[in-house]
This record gives sequence, C-alpha cells and structure tokens, in this order.
Amino acid sequence: MTVQTLTRKFLHAALFYEIWDAMKVMFKHMFHKPITFQYPREQRTIPDTHRGALGLLRYDDGRERCVGCDLCEAACPSRCIKVISAEDPDRPLQRYATEFYIDITKCVFCGYCVEACPVNALAMTKMYEFSTHDKRTLLFDKKRLYDIGERHLDDAKKYLYAHNQEKNLEESREYRYYFPQSVVKPTQTTPKHLS
Amino acid sequence: MGLKPATNPDVDASTIELNIDGKTVTAKDGVSLYDVISSTGKIIPAMCYHYTFDPFGSCGMCLVMQEGKKAPVRSCTAKATAGMVIRTEGDDLFQARKKAVEKHLSVHPLDCPVCDADGHCELQDMAFQHGVTNLANAKQKFIPEDTRSLVLDFNMNRCIACAECINVCKDVLMIDALQFMKKGGFNQVVAKGDLPLACEFCGDCLAVCPVGAITNKFSKYLYKPWQMKKTTTTCNYCGDGCQMYVETKDTEVIRVTSPLSWKNKWGDRADTAKGHGGLCVKGRFGFEYIDSPTRLKRPLVRKGNQLVEVPWLEAMHAAVDRFADIRKKHGPDAIAGLITARCTNEELYLFQKLMRVAFRTNNLDSSARYGHMNFVQASKLALGIGRTTNDWEDLTKAKAVLVIGSNLTETNPLTSVRIKEAIRVYKAQVMVFDSAVTNLGKLGSHPFLIKPGTEGLVIDGLVKATVDLDLVDEESVKKHPQAFAALKSAVGSISLEQVAAKTGLTAEQFKEAASIFAESPRSIILCAEGIVRRPNGYQNVLKLVDLAWITGKLGRPGCGVNTVTEEPNEQGAVDMGVAPEFLPGLASFDDQTMRDKLAKAWDATLPTVGSGAHLTEILNRCRSGHIRALYVVGENPLATLPASMEVRAALDRLELLVVQDPFLTETGQMAHIVLPATTSAEKDGTFTNLEGRVLRVRQGMDAIGESVPDWQILTALANGMGCQWEYDSANDIQSEIMKLLPGYYNLGQPKKLTPNADHYLSNGYTASAAGRYKTARSESARPFTLLMGQLLYHSGKLSTLAPGLMKIAPNTGRIRMNAADMERLGLQDGAMVKLTSDRGSLQIGVQVDQSVAPQTCFFPEHFNEPPVKDLMSVHVDAITGVPSFKRTGVTIEKV
Repeated sequence: MTVQTLTRKFLHAALFYEIWDAMKVMFKHMFHKPITFQYPREQRTIPDTHRGALGLLRYDDGRERCVGCDLCEAACPSRCIKVISAEDPDRPLQRYATEFYIDITKCVFCGYCVEACPVNALAMTKMYEFSTHDKRTLLFDKKRLYDIGERHLDDAKKYLYAHNQEKNLEESREYRYYFPQSVVKPTQTTPKHLS
Repeated sequence: MGLKPATNPDVDASTIELNIDGKTVTAKDGVSLYDVISSTGKIIPAMCYHYTFDPFGSCGMCLVMQEGKKAPVRSCTAKATAGMVIRTEGDDLFQARKKAVEKHLSVHPLDCPVCDADGHCELQDMAFQHGVTNLANAKQKFIPEDTRSLVLDFNMNRCIACAECINVCKDVLMIDALQFMKKGGFNQVVAKGDLPLACEFCGDCLAVCPVGAITNKFSKYLYKPWQMKKTTTTCNYCGDGCQMYVETKDTEVIRVTSPLSWKNKWGDRADTAKGHGGLCVKGRFGFEYIDSPTRLKRPLVRKGNQLVEVPWLEAMHAAVDRFADIRKKHGPDAIAGLITARCTNEELYLFQKLMRVAFRTNNLDSSARYGHMNFVQASKLALGIGRTTNDWEDLTKAKAVLVIGSNLTETNPLTSVRIKEAIRVYKAQVMVFDSAVTNLGKLGSHPFLIKPGTEGLVIDGLVKATVDLDLVDEESVKKHPQAFAALKSAVGSISLEQVAAKTGLTAEQFKEAASIFAESPRSIILCAEGIVRRPNGYQNVLKLVDLAWITGKLGRPGCGVNTVTEEPNEQGAVDMGVAPEFLPGLASFDDQTMRDKLAKAWDATLPTVGSGAHLTEILNRCRSGHIRALYVVGENPLATLPASMEVRAALDRLELLVVQDPFLTETGQMAHIVLPATTSAEKDGTFTNLEGRVLRVRQGMDAIGESVPDWQILTALANGMGCQWEYDSANDIQSEIMKLLPGYYNLGQPKKLTPNADHYLSNGYTASAAGRYKTARSESARPFTLLMGQLLYHSGKLSTLAPGLMKIAPNTGRIRMNAADMERLGLQDGAMVKLTSDRGSLQIGVQVDQSVAPQTCFFPEHFNEPPVKDLMSVHVDAITGVPSFKRTGVTIEKV
C-alpha cells in the first residue's frame, strides 16, 4: 500500500466522501422529471403503431366491413382466429362473417391478420388491459370485437394509417374491392373511378 | 379445332420423333403437341386444357417456340408432327405467358376475398407464378350473377372463357347443357338458350372451372378451401363406387368434390376408359343427409306407446336381454335379420357372423335380394362367377353394347358415361331395348322402344334370330353339341314375327341387332332393373348367357354379361354371404369345405344345411308367428314393399323389432328398440362396386350425436350374446376377412375372372333350356302399364333425406305420362285421374314426361306419397326368391 492511496483513504473517511457522492445523485434527481409514473392513475402515451387488442370495424354507414374471407385465419401464426362465413340473407351476393372469434389469450399480437385483411375490417387498438377473473371472457366473439372497434375507432384508424394500410376515409372504399352485383337487386352503385 | 388423340385400341398409330428442349421424344402420330410435352413430365401452364376432352385453345398460356416460326405457337391445338424442334422454356416465353395472364386479369373482378375459388384458383396461381403485380388497363364487366339454376350460380365477371365447362359437358358427358352467348358485350357461358339451367346437374362443369365463375349453391360462401378437411371416400349412393372427396369443417359437411378437377388436368386420354373421375348429382350435391338435423342422436326404446330416448347401455341391455330371451324360449330360428347393402363389407360380414354364430340362425338377407340376387345366382350357376365379368374399361372399349332393360343414365350415371365414351370415342354400336325413351337410347345407334314387360321376349327373339341367321360361333357350339341341340329345339317353336309383334318391334330389327352383337369383336350385354327386378329375372339372365355363349362371347376378352347395382355394396353383401344360400366368398351354404373352414375360424357350429329364410320368407314367417324377433339394419321393408306384402301385419306380430339406422324410418317408427347408426361418412370400411373393385370408405368426420358405426353395435350385441369378439376397428374385421377369403381385397382391383360355362352346359343344361323359352307374357287386361323406377336425382329412400336433392327433384305426387296419351284422354298437366290396378285404386295428378313411352306411366320409387307402390302386385321368383313389384297393369280414368 503506497502513501498516496493511504492519503486518499484517509481523506475519504474524514470528509464523508460516500455521503456526498450519494447526495450528488439525490440532488441531481431532485431537479429532473420523474421517469416512472403512477400507473393506473397516469397512463403512458402510446404510439399509433402500437399493436394492442384487435377490433372489427364498420364503414361509416354502419355496414360491416368484414366479408368473411378467412384470410386472417389463414395468416394467423398462433391459430387464434376462427371465422364462419355465409351469404348475407338480406343482401344477396354479399358474403359476411356470421361468427368471428379471436382467442386473445393465444394471440401473439403480430398484426399479420390486419395486414392480410383485404377490406381493412380488422385493426389493432391501443387497448392492452385484459385482466379478468375469468379467462373464458378472453375469447372475443364478433359482438365484442365490434364493440372494441367502435370504442377505439380513432386509434384503429390511426393504426391503419400508421401502417400504410388505409389512405384516408374518402379513398378507402374506392381503392378497395368492388363486389359483383346481385341479379335480384343492385346493392352498390358503380364507383366513380370505374364508371 | 378438334385433335383426336390416338384412342382407337384396334389401330396402332404410327410413331413419330420430335425434339423437345434438346431431347428426342417419341410420340404417337396425331396427338396434340401439348400432350406430347406433358408426357415427358414437363408442365406448361394451360388454363383451358383438360386431358378428358379435345384441346380448345382459348387461354393462350401453353405457348412454345417452334423452330422456323417467328411467334410462339399454342401447343395444345398444334398437332405433333415428325421432326418438330420445340423449345418450352425461356424468358421470351415467360413474358408472352405473363401477357396472357395480364389479359385475363385485366377484366377479372379481383374479388378474391369473397370468391369461393380463392386459394383454389388457377388464375390466382398463374398471376402469382408470373409475378403479375399491376395491371395497366383494368376494367370490369359488371355482369349480374345468374342465380336462376337450382344448384349452380354463374358469375360471369370471373369467367376467363376457357370453355372447360362447355367442353366437359358436351364431349365427356354428352349432355350439352352449356353454351357461349354474346351478352352485354362479353362472351358468357349460359345454359342452352339462356334459360335456367336444366340438366343432369352432375356438376362436372363446377369441378373443371379453374376460377370461381361457377359456384356451388349448396356451399356458397360457407368456406375457404384451406379451412376444410378433405377425406377421400367412396360414394354411398349407387353401385358405381365413385371416388369422391368429402370436405368437412368440424361436424359439418361443406361440400363434395371429385377427382375430376382443373387441378389434375394432365393425363393420358386413354385412361378415361377407367373412369373420368367425375361425379353425378347425387354424389356431388346429395351430401346434406349426413349432417341432417333429422339424424338419430340417441338410442330409442319403446315405453308404452312411444319411443323414448335412453342411454346406450340401457338400450343395448334391453336388446340383448330380449334377443336372448326369445332364443331361449322359441329357439334360434325365431330370430331373423335384414341388412341394407349401404353398409360396408366389414359390417355385412359381421352381420352374417352375428346371425349365424351369436343368434345361431340362418334367417338373414340383404337388399341385394331386391334384384341383384337374380343376376348373382344365374351367373354363379352358369359361369361360376356370381358377379359382372367386365369392368369399366371393357365397357368403354366395347364395339357393341346391348343394353337391355336399363335406364342407365338415371340409375348409374357414371357407368352410363362409360357407354357414352364408347359411343363417342370408340364408335361403339349401342343397342338399347327399353320400355322408356331413355337418354342412352337417344345417344345410341340402335334405340328400340319395346312394350313394357317384354324384355324376356326380346331375348328370345335375339337368340332365335342368331340361330336363324346362323350367327353362331362354331367353336363354342361344337364343344357342347347336345346343349346347342337342346337350345335349338327350345327356340324352334318361337316365331320371330310373333315375338316382334308382341314386343312392338319388327323381325328385321331383331336380325339387325343380333348380327351386330354377334359380329362385333367385343360385345357386351348390360342388363339391369328391367331384367333383374322383374318377373323371370333369373331365367332371363340365363337366356342372356345363352345368347353370349352361342355367339362365342363367353370368356372372350372384352365380352360378357353384366349388370349394374342400385346400392353401393350389393355385390359386397352377396360376397360376404349375407343371404341364406351363401357363405362368405360366394360359397354355397352347403359347401362342406367352406363350412368346416368357417366353423374352425369362428369356433362355432353353423346353422344346419337347409335352414334359413330369405326376405319374403322371413316376412311370411313373421306373419305366421314363427319368427318373433327381427333385427333390421338400415333396411326399410315397410316403405319399400307394396301393401300386398302385408309388411305392417308381419312387423306388428313381432315380439321384438330392433331397427338400427341413421334415421327414424317408417320401419323404425314401429320398432321396440331403435339404435342410431352412423352414415358412411363417419366410419371406415370398404365397398365392393359393380365391377368387383373393393373401394375404401374413410371416416371424414366425428359421428353425429351419440350415433355409433354399425360394426361397433354388431360387436357389442354379439358380445352381449356371449361371444368374445375383439374388434377395435374396421381394420381388425378386414384382416379376418382377408384370412378367410384370400385375395378378396386384391388391392382394390377386381380379380380378372374368366367365365367358364362348360360345367353348366354339360350338366343338366338340356333339361332346363326347354322350359326357359316358353315364358308366355301374362297379358294384362288393363290398357296402361304402371312402372316404378329410379330417378337420376335420387337413390333409394336415402336421397330423399338430402334437402338439396329434394329441391332439385321434389316429390310431385303425380304420375308421369306420355303427351300423346294425355291428349288422347283429354288430360291437362296437373289433372287428376283415377289409377286402378288389381290391388286397388287411388286418385293422383298427372304430369307430362317426354321419356315415358305411350301406353305406360311412371312413378318414381323413391316416394310413397301418394302410395302408388301399394297398387303393385308382387311376384316372387321361385328359384331366387326375388320379389318383383315394379310393374303392373292399370287403367287410367279422368275424374
């Protein structure tokens, strides 16, 4: 042990160096904004691209977007989606999903289903709080999914814009599919860009 | 553009050599270049090509470069010639093909998400393969969907005008129900004359459509191809034994598809002789009975006056106790059993084992008794075979086909496609003798409309004409001079003119038919319901064997006497010994070696020789009280047999009636115990089809409700009766059958059997031949003949439980009559008439039907409302015990 190190040790002990060192950290934090926050009273701002709970969307006129094409089921890597489709009895030639289930306990939130959806009927929202006393409630059915979609409509749309899936409201319907008409009665007018 | 591939089996096409991608390839002269290229294993994309018909050349995908030509050529419509130098790959060809895809896509609606063909679409595959990502000038057709047809929807926006549907309909099936029509500026596929589609509804157009332009109404929008479980199985409707894919989602059957599809479009044209892979309306659209809500889900036991649902254990205990009780009190012969030929071979085998070992009785029969038994016994006696001798390939390649008493297109649609191919490709002469204007009669070269009930006389006439014209084959006849002398003297008294007058033909027509039949190198006789289900069926089959023998057709390759079966496994039922006169393997019941073998294998003593009763005898004994317990598996004698058989009275006297069926049938409603069985889609096993091919039946879905496969119920019942059977699966039963009947399964291929009539002709033939040609037709005093028979859209009573088929062919409740007769009687369509037979009369509406001959009327046998079947008298064959009840004389009066 050299004289130098002895002196430093003595000085540190005499001047309570460790205490001042700790105080330095403390005073530094006294003057800067806290990093943690008081969840659930305070909530984090979430980016638009966040992949949260899935919701089903409607068009502005209230019609279901989903055409029951089952591409989400095919794309899903964790096999948590189940779609059962049929012909819409009121509107011949329109296919729709009679039942739609997402087992959110199995979902890995990859967002492939949203990407696969040809009509942008599925979107992810910023909702991430699923805690429940009963795991069975986590099998989202069609009604629940539309509820989520309705409640988080803004977030869902932002998600679609952020992922470049939907341009804006006006165009969205036109650049999407136009479905053939029924022989009984026309269900859609010919869109502008096609007539 | 028609390029006939070399399919004539009599002429060897010369071989040519050409160069494909630097390799020398030999091919037959006259075939399409595309076929030559695909035979080398190279696959060029082609959307309008299918090997079953001639190339059409509309899609423009099969482009190849031919040396000496500047532009690519379409290989499908180009004829392969010697010395061609062909290049099939290269960037220029890829670009040209890509252009063709873009051309199709630019007018395609791209509604893939809602399209049923999504994921099973050739255009999609082609767009993906060729990397088509954007389209310069896309436009839409906006053609409204044609939903007028009962089974198919035509969405012509998606059509790529490949004409596969039109070609398959016209060339392969010879129905010709579709055509192109220019409508709204586009070439569209429409039903003939732009009317609602009215055809055989086989749905082969749907199968070959490479896009989603033709969709199935029964499963529209219910599925995506990747969601379904696909099971290869055998159709449960007729004896053709078509292979099909049952596609299921959980506990629902979504659709049925066929091996014929745009997906397997490459093949040798000559292979279609074994079947083109399509289905008929029943197979493709009649699947809805499987998951029908009317299926029985739990066992029922009669308590008081009604059937009450009980657990399986209770029902089985009740059944076992009461069977055991009756056997103890009244002996084993107080028990009898009937089984349907819609069960698998394994179940039929198990059933007869149960009856003979567990119940120790020989009172058992199957629905083969309704007609097929006539053929089996005649063929067994004369030829020692007991089944048809020819397979589909022989039928297709025949030069002359004698179809007698068979409306083949209605009863066995896919066998009739074989005859159609014989007409179309192999240029066969088809002689059709029938008392109705049949579809085959229209297509065949020699249609003969005969008077109803004269099928037997027609054979007399043909034999007589053969002898008279000396068309006999010297070699065959010389071997058995005594037999031929007997036959000659038997037909000696027949006058061809008289026969001709009675049958409604002329003597010249008989001579023509006989000479065509005798002179063709490959002649086939096909007899069906008009022979085997009518009085004297057994004798008539023997007469047909005579005809084949004297013309030298017995044992010659590609010739023979054949029949078709109505139910899928009638042949299997006979082969498995479900008849009092047969043991498994078609051994006679008194065959001591087989009896010893079985007794050893089963570790039991078989019922004594001479005991046992067949269907009509069982019903008689039920009525007389000798039989006290009846075990009915899938059969429904109450709804099948006419009232004069007094089936209800017979069943009423029973102490115990156990019915095992997927549905609650009329017989089931009278039962004491009803056990729910599964349909063939929910179990494993095999069917033996009319060719003798053993075909796999595979489980496609879990059983509905608590229903259980028949073999499980049979095993449980046997174990309850004190046997120790340890069958865990249909495979276990199969291995037992394999041990007892070596070579029966034969990997699904029918064993080639050579008929040998020597024994029959040299033993007792002379005595029997004389009596055979004396059958005088019992002239009915009534002016009309009422015939009951099958419709194309139905099979037995089973198909009436499929709502889709009932939509296509509902029970109109009217008899069908010829337009001329209706006019003569002053009847309008729908008018009420009084129909009177010897057995009673009823009031019924009439409807016009072009296929009904004058002086006859027709009612489908599938329906009992109104009970037309009760007008029928029953004639039971003395030798085979076959009850025939499909024809009677009636008077028709306007009311």
